Amino acid sequence: MRSPAAAIAWELGRRHRWGLIAVTATLFVVSTIKLLIFGTEQRVNFDNELSFALVVVVPLSATFLYFLAVFSFGLSGALAARQSIYPTRMFTLPVTAAALAGWPMLYGTLAMAALWFATRLLAVWPSDVEVPLMWPALLAASLLAWMQAFTWMSYPLPGLRVIVSVLWLTVFDAVVMIALEAKASEGVMLILLAPHVPLAYLVARRAVRRARRGDVPDWRGIFARRGETAQVRPDFSSPARAQAWFEWRRYGWSLPAMVGIVVPFELALRFIFSETPVIVFEILAGVLLTPPFMAAFVAATVGRSTPFLVTRPLTSASLTAAKMKVTMLSTVIAWVPVMVAIPLALKLSGASPIVNEWMRNLVDVFGMPRAVVIVLLGFAALLASTWKQLVQSLYISMSGREWLLKASVFLPLALLAIAFPLGYWVLRSKVVMAALWNSFSWILALLVCFKLSAAAWIAMRLRDRRLFSDRTLILGAAAWDVAVFALFGLFRWLVPGILFHNYFLALVAILAIPLARLSAAPLALAWNRHR
Amino acid sequence: MRESVIDVSALTRRFGASTALAEVSLSIPRGGVYGLVGANGAGKTTLIKHILGLLRAESGSVSVFGLDPVADPVGVLSRIGYLSEENDLPAWMRVEELIRYSRAFYPAWDDAYAEELRQTFALDPAAKIRNLSKGQKARAGLLIALAYRPELLVLDEPSSGLDPIVRRDILGAVIRTIADEGRTVLFSSHLLEEVEQVADHVTMISRGRIALSAPLTVMKESHRCLTVRFAEPRLQPPAVAGVLRWDGGGQDWMAVCGDGADELRTAVRGWGARIVAERTPSLDEVFVARAGT
Repeated sequence: MRSPAAAIAWELGRRHRWGLIAVTATLFVVSTIKLLIFGTEQRVNFDNELSFALVVVVPLSATFLYFLAVFSFGLSGALAARQSIYPTRMFTLPVTAAALAGWPMLYGTLAMAALWFATRLLAVWPSDVEVPLMWPALLAASLLAWMQAFTWMSYPLPGLRVIVSVLWLTVFDAVVMIALEAKASEGVMLILLAPHVPLAYLVARRAVRRARRGDVPDWRGIFARRGETAQVRPDFSSPARAQAWFEWRRYGWSLPAMVGIVVPFELALRFIFSETPVIVFEILAGVLLTPPFMAAFVAATVGRSTPFLVTRPLTSASLTAAKMKVTMLSTVIAWVPVMVAIPLALKLSGASPIVNEWMRNLVDVFGMPRAVVIVLLGFAALLASTWKQLVQSLYISMSGREWLLKASVFLPLALLAIAFPLGYWVLRSKVVMAALWNSFSWILALLVCFKLSAAAWIAMRLRDRRLFSDRTLILGAAAWDVAVFALFGLFRWLVPGILFHNYFLALVAILAIPLARLSAAPLALAWNRHR
Repeated sequence: MRESVIDVSALTRRFGASTALAEVSLSIPRGGVYGLVGANGAGKTTLIKHILGLLRAESGSVSVFGLDPVADPVGVLSRIGYLSEENDLPAWMRVEELIRYSRAFYPAWDDAYAEELRQTFALDPAAKIRNLSKGQKARAGLLIALAYRPELLVLDEPSSGLDPIVRRDILGAVIRTIADEGRTVLFSSHLLEEVEQVADHVTMISRGRIALSAPLTVMKESHRCLTVRFAEPRLQPPAVAGVLRWDGGGQDWMAVCGDGADELRTAVRGWGARIVAERTPSLDEVFVARAGT
């Protein structure tokens, strides 16, 4: 290895070798499926867009996102920080800023191009789709190049990187979508996209040059609260309260802020499509799913533990409890703007009659009490789902094991690559579908057995390690039982008995109430604290 | 016999194929300053992490204040003040917030003492941790480690990479802690002259094993540093049992001896050479002689 370019390439490859192996394996699986199931030449008719998305778009998008993170060094630092995320250790290498910006950008461009051409060649495409030749490769490379520029840039305010990136990439995507709507040819698309990589390179080079000399603009003074330290703040009444404050300050506002940024843009679309019920429904669904979707991103911050944190004189259970409480508060606050903005936007956009009509239909079908409970249950499910997204992976992130974290990302991706074609095959086969439907209760029963066995094992470990007292474990189990029975009772009242058996509803209720993964969180933290 | 604060018995720890600690046994009684010295990778931090309960004993046992630090982290950590080289304080906190947050965990937190330390260390309460210099961060870490007057103060390479003024503050804190009767300090450092200034007892770790553990005065007195002048210049020093290390060249060679000083004196007479100087070695010389071979 005698050149800086080769050394930078080697480091990127070496550091992310498992991810790159997973990407290669995914492409291998996709190509094998194409060869074995569909044949090399045969074109396939997909029944619907979902099938196409499952087979082609999902693996492609996942790999694209992974490449964005790898080649922008996005995994190396905090996206919300003011400072450049470009690794500072590389600033001391005896190479120019042009090389520091240029080589990762070139490798990213090549990787994106290779991804597109491999997907074009190996993936299964529907016969009615005219697969573009080159422009998607250039689009992916352009998006990556801009992402690199924005990630390596220093900003005057915390969080500005996220806002600038989202806005610019949305505008960029919108331009591309408009061009596609206008049936732009391959040549036009190439002309449209061609300037972006060089332009992004110039921005990235300047960003790296400034970051290298430690030039970080600072506007925080403008927004700083004057005399903040002069005020006397009350002391924390207990270590648990102090810890909750600590957790809140670390990430409490992250989810509300992200939701607050995204939801207005989503709701703005309503003003354009207020007359089209389907689009109004889709926008509404998108807005309602925004908090749980964003929560999945915030979850990575929630579980992070530092040497400072693990040496606090608190039990692992108390440290975990502080996270659980703060995530609950964060969830509630994140939903406040959604619940305020939706009726407001419906009213102002004139789309409320459409929603009122849906509500009337719901009342007509189920009756007023049941309709109200269905709406409340749906809202509670969304709220619970948001919180669950924040905490359900704590048992992985709090373990502090890098290999477990990586495996938790790559294993599902690898399974998706297998599951989607398999699912596609199952959906097409009426015999298999019928067999699956007939044994659905058994599948649920198996899942319940697995969940309860895991929970029992975790409870025993919690007791053995003295993380929870017997009383706490019994109270926790009792509370979970009450929640399951309450949900089951609600299901029984809502769903006519002729549709589902009681045991089926009971199985669904057991699976719906979180137990094993949440209980495993303190165990994971103890595993991390006492290695 | 004084009550033990730390009891480590036959502690072994492996990381993959390498053994970080091998059958380490150590007992630290209450009161006094215990210096833990050793080369990089000798196992000092691994031992300290076991004492804090951050590592679970694979074999052997660790007991702090008679408690298992893994089974009862709250019972142990609430009585320990800890400052490490990494000093991983939350960068987003202000000094005032760090103090307010930390005091919630320690019922014995002494506000007056914390304020006194803050003023001594010239820490601005409004300053964010991320904006502090390395020395200021070390002072902030020291403040929250001392302000509740812990029974055991554990300092893991606290002055590594710090300027002499901050190092003096840390040493001052150690001395003040000793002044509080019955308190114990476990002080791991590369800067042996610092350990020599404050430690009552020194434990040397080498390749995961305790090479030597004794009161500082005993350790120094049990070693001798002799300068031997040979009749003719020599390329290599002669081999003598009991000599831990030879340094020098030509006619003059300096030997650091453990128990073998008398054997060397006898041998010197036999070679027709003479001893031109003899003194008690510094801790640094003992350490290099013991760990550098």
